[in-house]
Amino acid sequence: MKIKNSYLPQANEVQVFEHAAQNFLPVLIKGPTGCGKTHFIEHMSDRLNRPLITVACHDDLTATDLVGRHLIGKDGTYWQDGPLTRAVRQGAICYLDEVIEARKDTTVVLHPLSDHRRALPIERTGEEIQAHPNFMLVVSYNPGYQNVMKGLKPSTRQRFVALEFNYPSPEREVVIVCQESNIDKETAQKLVNLGLDLRRLKDHDLEEAASTRLLIYTAKMILSGLDPKQACMACLALPLSDETNTINAIARLVQVYFP
Amino acid sequence: MEEVVGEFWHRLVTKQASTDYEGVRVELTDVQSQLGLFYRALGGCSAKVIEAAAPRKFNAERNFFQRLAGTHKRICVAWQDERSVRLAPDIAFFPNKELNEKLYFWQVAMAAYLPNVTHWFTDNQRASLALVSARPGLKLIYLELVEAILTSRPSLDKLEGDKREREVVVRQALINPGSVECLPKAAGDVYPIPLWLYPEAMHGVHTQPSDDDENALVTSRSGMEKIKSARREAQRVDDAKKTDGLLVFMLESILSWTEYVNLDRPKQDNDDENLQSAVEDLDIITLSRQRRAGAARLKFDLDLPAPQNDDLAIGDGIKFPEWDYRKAQFIEDYCLLQPMLADDALPLSIPDTLKSTVNQVRKRFSALQFQQNWLRRQPYGSELDLDACVEWMTESAQTDKQNLYKKRCRTERDISCLVLADLSMSTDAGINADQRVIDVIRDSILVFSEALLEAGDPFAIYGFSSIKNKQVRFHLVKNFAERYDNSIRGRILSIKPGFYTRMGAAIRQATQILELQRSQQRLLLIISDGKPNDIDHYEGRYGIEDTRKAIQEAKHLGLQPFCITIDEEGSDYLPYLFGDQGFAVIKDIARLPSLLPKLYLNLTGLQ
Repeated sequence: MKIKNSYLPQANEVQVFEHAAQNFLPVLIKGPTGCGKTHFIEHMSDRLNRPLITVACHDDLTATDLVGRHLIGKDGTYWQDGPLTRAVRQGAICYLDEVIEARKDTTVVLHPLSDHRRALPIERTGEEIQAHPNFMLVVSYNPGYQNVMKGLKPSTRQRFVALEFNYPSPEREVVIVCQESNIDKETAQKLVNLGLDLRRLKDHDLEEAASTRLLIYTAKMILSGLDPKQACMACLALPLSDETNTINAIARLVQVYFP
Repeated sequence: MEEVVGEFWHRLVTKQASTDYEGVRVELTDVQSQLGLFYRALGGCSAKVIEAAAPRKFNAERNFFQRLAGTHKRICVAWQDERSVRLAPDIAFFPNKELNEKLYFWQVAMAAYLPNVTHWFTDNQRASLALVSARPGLKLIYLELVEAILTSRPSLDKLEGDKREREVVVRQALINPGSVECLPKAAGDVYPIPLWLYPEAMHGVHTQPSDDDENALVTSRSGMEKIKSARREAQRVDDAKKTDGLLVFMLESILSWTEYVNLDRPKQDNDDENLQSAVEDLDIITLSRQRRAGAARLKFDLDLPAPQNDDLAIGDGIKFPEWDYRKAQFIEDYCLLQPMLADDALPLSIPDTLKSTVNQVRKRFSALQFQQNWLRRQPYGSELDLDACVEWMTESAQTDKQNLYKKRCRTERDISCLVLADLSMSTDAGINADQRVIDVIRDSILVFSEALLEAGDPFAIYGFSSIKNKQVRFHLVKNFAERYDNSIRGRILSIKPGFYTRMGAAIRQATQILELQRSQQRLLLIISDGKPNDIDHYEGRYGIEDTRKAIQEAKHLGLQPFCITIDEEGSDYLPYLFGDQGFAVIKDIARLPSLLPKLYLNLTGLQ
């Protein structure tokens, strides 16, 4: 079978994930924004030939949103499965992106699914669904001090097999930027170098580092004909800071690569 | 009349001699913050700051007017040491402003690439080559700068012999960096190259042995002796004054100002102005190193202030245990914590210098008050909660409990924050000419308090320092119940550095206070400038272990301790104390006032 999503591994994450899948274990992925977590899951879903159901968690996401709810139809009410229940029934990979953003009560429904029971009790209907063998739970979050107060509870964390992601090494990143955007290698190299420079500013001048995703966006904009300097400003400077001084300094930095 | 003519002549000649272009001058202060970011991005050490450099003496070619005017003896070049990158305070080297700005950016790029200059000639070429080959934009800048610089260098026609040969080589090295291995010897210095970095300023500073006599220090036994020696020093200075008085002011003495430390010029009227001009003329400002006298005074400083000058002590103190890691047990009632109140601090309003920062931060925080969200499953409200309705309908036995509405309401921000600031003596250290660490901490606390006031989160502020276990001074600035107003502002502004850092006891007390708060999230924010230490055995591992224990106790009680430190080595021990994500190291301390509120927003998950 041809795998749609090409993916360049950073380390042994593909093997770890495959072994976790074989052993019916849930996976926790941590890493900064835009370093390829979601892309990796998409790739693994292709590779394992299991459907993928992604839920982007937000602070208003409740257990009901995951499990399902009753809706009103023509003939009264009927039950509608939530994304998690669908994945449990079908045998899909359920990917909860930025899981710590979700409300605390969501973790409660995850607990019985993430240990040996692999079961999802649905309180409303009184049903308990035994998970399909292909069902796999994957959660991700971005560690970092912004999330200290939220954090995942240790009791939740230790149910998962964990993988840590970071921005790829410059050589790999060049390849990734080239592949994802089809831009020439020379420009990709420049973008990656610029990205490295910007990442040095994290914590000191910028709250977030320039992610691989942003570099790919920039490359795409350049490829479709936008002036490289403008593309860098639009994709790399303005999204990262609101302070005029910082933006002006980044503009200088951009000029260093794209005069 | 003489004076007028002299001044006119001076102006005329210096104008003729000047190589600067007026009207296109770029001040360092205008681009300083951008330069800092640029420097860090290119890999420069983030702890270093960008500072103005003092001019340095060069023995290079000067033209007729420059010699006549006596200018161009000292020129500002770029250099760096462990603490900072030094650049000229302004640049008007090129006829257009943009180029002058570019020169600044080029210099910091060089500084980022070349942290140490060992072989000035080859290192600079190597660094230039590396910079231009990796970054096409810098290459353009470099070429543009080199072209402009070559026109400003002494003309080859006017040089001869060795000097001409050397200038040819220098030009070659600039046009084609990396192409020349060695610099031919010639008399005098190479005409300064603004594109290149210079090594740290080296001066053959010799100290007078009588000022700093190590042996005498070792043999001196009592404090009395120390004071005596200080007196002797003063005597010697007086002697010098006697001879000074006999001399009429002579022009030659200008040359010997470098050697003179004790300026005594009774004939001159305006001391301040003359001192200023003297400072400008000096290459090195030699400081008298009376270490013994200094040591004696230092000892005095660290004694407890007299009760009438000290803050008001409240109560007899509170006893706290301390953790002894060697015995792995608590020593009960070991520390006496003394709450203190600055009762003589006058009410003050926000200082003008901080007003703009405070306004910005307030604006950002005021939005938090009005954050609203939906409360579901309410007995009454503005809209039906469909989820609840459907659920109610599907329930087999329909209960009487009909919480079927949702309503919009202000989000209850249930966060209490206790700020515990380290006020040890080390915060007395200066960070630049007019600010000390403690000033920045004080400003930060003030700005932060304004922010919290705006957000409506309950908060308290305490400070601490210690002198052994018998007096851990716990300064009350604001408790949770007090209203934040000018009297609290006055107390914040009267914060002064104290003694040592016995962190454990202070954290235990702060924990007890914060624990009484019934909020869902309770943040214990510790602002520190270094490791825990005291003058007894409370240092090194002992201090760290006790502090760690205190922090663990706080965590067990459900508090969230978080440490903000300005100690660059903080990353070495803070993960052990607070956990990997439980602290932030602020490298550029001057930005603490604006960073602290931001950090709070991030921590409390609201942004």
